Amino acid sequence: MDRKRVPGPELSVAPLVEYPVDHKRWTPYGETRHDAKRQPEDMRPIYLKTGLINQANGSAYIELEKTKLACGVYGPRPIKRTGQGFSGKGVLNCEIKFATFSCAKRRSNMRDPQEKELSLIVTQALTPAVRLELLPKSAIDVYITVLESDGWGSCLSAAITCASAALAHAGIEMLDLVAGCSASYISNVPESSSSSTSGSSSIPPQIYMDADLEEEKYEQGAIVLAYMPSLNEVTHVLQSGKAESTTISQSVEHCVEACNKIYAVMHHALLESINESKNNSL
Amino acid sequence: MTSTSAAPSPAFTFSASTFQKLHPAEYFRKFISQGVRPDGRLLTGFRPTTVHYGVISTANGSAMVRVGGTTVVCGVKAEVAEPRLDSPDQGYLVPNVDLSPICSSAFRPGPPSEQAQVTSDAIDRVLKESKVLDLKDLCIEEGKAVWSLWIDVVCVSYDGNIYDAALASVMAALANVRIRKPTYDEGIVKVSGAQELDDDNSFKLNLNRTPLSASFVLFDTSLELLADPNFAEESICEGQISVTVDEEGQICALSKVGGGSSSPSILKECVDRAKERSKDLRALMQQQ
Amino acid sequence: MTSVADAVVPGQRLGHIQEYTAGPGTYSHQDFLYASVVGLKHVSRTSASELPVMTVHRENSQSAMPGMEAIVICKVVRVNPRFAAVNIMVVNGIPCSDDFQGVIRVQDVRATEKDKVKIYNSFRPGDIVRAQVISLGDARSYFLSTAANELGVIFGTSVAGGSLVPISWQEMQCTKTKAIELRKCAKPM
Repeated sequence: MDRKRVPGPELSVAPLVEYPVDHKRWTPYGETRHDAKRQPEDMRPIYLKTGLINQANGSAYIELEKTKLACGVYGPRPIKRTGQGFSGKGVLNCEIKFATFSCAKRRSNMRDPQEKELSLIVTQALTPAVRLELLPKSAIDVYITVLESDGWGSCLSAAITCASAALAHAGIEMLDLVAGCSASYISNVPESSSSSTSGSSSIPPQIYMDADLEEEKYEQGAIVLAYMPSLNEVTHVLQSGKAESTTISQSVEHCVEACNKIYAVMHHALLESINESKNNSL
Repeated sequence: MTSTSAAPSPAFTFSASTFQKLHPAEYFRKFISQGVRPDGRLLTGFRPTTVHYGVISTANGSAMVRVGGTTVVCGVKAEVAEPRLDSPDQGYLVPNVDLSPICSSAFRPGPPSEQAQVTSDAIDRVLKESKVLDLKDLCIEEGKAVWSLWIDVVCVSYDGNIYDAALASVMAALANVRIRKPTYDEGIVKVSGAQELDDDNSFKLNLNRTPLSASFVLFDTSLELLADPNFAEESICEGQISVTVDEEGQICALSKVGGGSSSPSILKECVDRAKERSKDLRALMQQQ
Repeated sequence: MTSVADAVVPGQRLGHIQEYTAGPGTYSHQDFLYASVVGLKHVSRTSASELPVMTVHRENSQSAMPGMEAIVICKVVRVNPRFAAVNIMVVNGIPCSDDFQGVIRVQDVRATEKDKVKIYNSFRPGDIVRAQVISLGDARSYFLSTAANELGVIFGTSVAGGSLVPISWQEMQCTKTKAIELRKCAKPM
């Protein structure tokens, strides 16, 4: 039992949701995407702002409609864990945490395996971009809090984008900014009809950029790409699920294209922070 | 090289930020003696405050409150639980404050810090002892199922005075809560999944009162009273006084922690100022 | 003088390596020069024969970190016969957001007569010391030196609780009791 928190009931569950008979759920077999506005290749509009956490060395907040994350960067500061010996390079440590109210189902306060996995991916995606060789025996701690999540892929890619902007805002030397982007492979043909007609698996699935939670429920596979736009280098790619290699290479192309758009947003947000600090100093 | 008049030691000159780092209390004393604080506020001044409702759509109710550099987000999630045996018709209110390492370098990853526990506990007491909500309102089926309101406050940016900000966010989020009307059927609680929430298929919480607080710190032996302390002020001052009052000006909670003795007249001054502050804050919360 | 056009972000291409030399805040990759921090770019020409230096001035400076030969201000936390352990609080005039650990070893306290140095007669816990980084040290601590006139104790508190004033390079006097205590003092600058 957790004695350090105000205790609640030992077991609580979300109520069962009953949909009325005339309720229409969104499916990918219709004409539109879930929000009825976007084309398959469109991302949600991104809002990115730096410098909202004044105790942190650098910080950023990102919003893709319902997906909302905040990131704080602390460091370079001394490595707390000792006994590792002298290190001529710095250490980048990213931790991602979901707020308990961030998902449809309430999350526990304990660090769960999904958070650990996402933390590792963000660390791997950002490390190649940070010039750690300039920061001997120091650590940079990147903390990301997910306030609201609307889809696994978009949450992860937003975390990468947001953390990279926060690192730049902290004045840490980097080779390039890192933009993260996700795509889902969703079949436009209902599964029941595809199983009845043999050979329909040759119909390639539709690639939906930046899928939201409702769309992810129908995905056959997904890809998350982290990319350094001006160096034209990929730092991390994660492909899950079943897809043909042509679909994958096509989705990588789409993601790279989208990352270039995200880069423009990051560029704008960071320059805005320059202007703001200039105005403040006057 | 110029010599600083206050320091009896020889002429070492530093930039203001270095001086603040080496002698935080001395740095601060110089400002206070002039009647202002390093951030430009008067001693009695509160920082600009904003309240936004309904910022999290995955929660039943939510609010974001900013007090100067302190930003907190509160989300309320309603889940179904079995009631306690001794109170079969009462629901649960479970407030917790999370001071995670994102908000300040003072907090480390791991279990809640002492400060987080103290703040959670203080809010828990205010909610329960001043009967903000009739827990019977949260009953679904007596003895079988009740609503459990998980009230979680996440601090995104910490710059002092977490109690005032967290309590305001909890009250705002509770006012924002909408729960779908449940039906109880043989051990299963169901709610309708209809698209739009309206008064027919959902209900709001009936809040009896809205306690809001104002905190002060006592600086130095001169016992200067500073309202709404920021992080730097909290770390050099010892005693902290928090006064929680409701809309009728009645005191719901009063706490004085830490060293530094204070006279009854100081406490009285705190109460008077807290009444004014909570009035302003309440007006701000009702604007939206 | 500065315009938005001069503002750059990490990864932005600044020019060809045949045109400029890479200065602070920039790096070269293959044939090009790129920015590595957010800030304003600046070109400085030293002489006509050399390439101009491209630098990027950080807009939001990185949190201070001790580097080789940096002048630091630190607080003594522990002493023993071999070294004084300190917390590094300020590096080159910029306060650190998180203190770094350092040690002043007995052989690094002063430049002459090193064998006669006693740590107890040089530093006491609580003293504020100006020192120089001489080595990145071991896994835990930076190695610091006070072997120069302007390095040593700059603020101290006496046994009686008064502040100390230097009266020679190895003695300080309490302002309250006029008692004399031994320290390795810094020469006021």
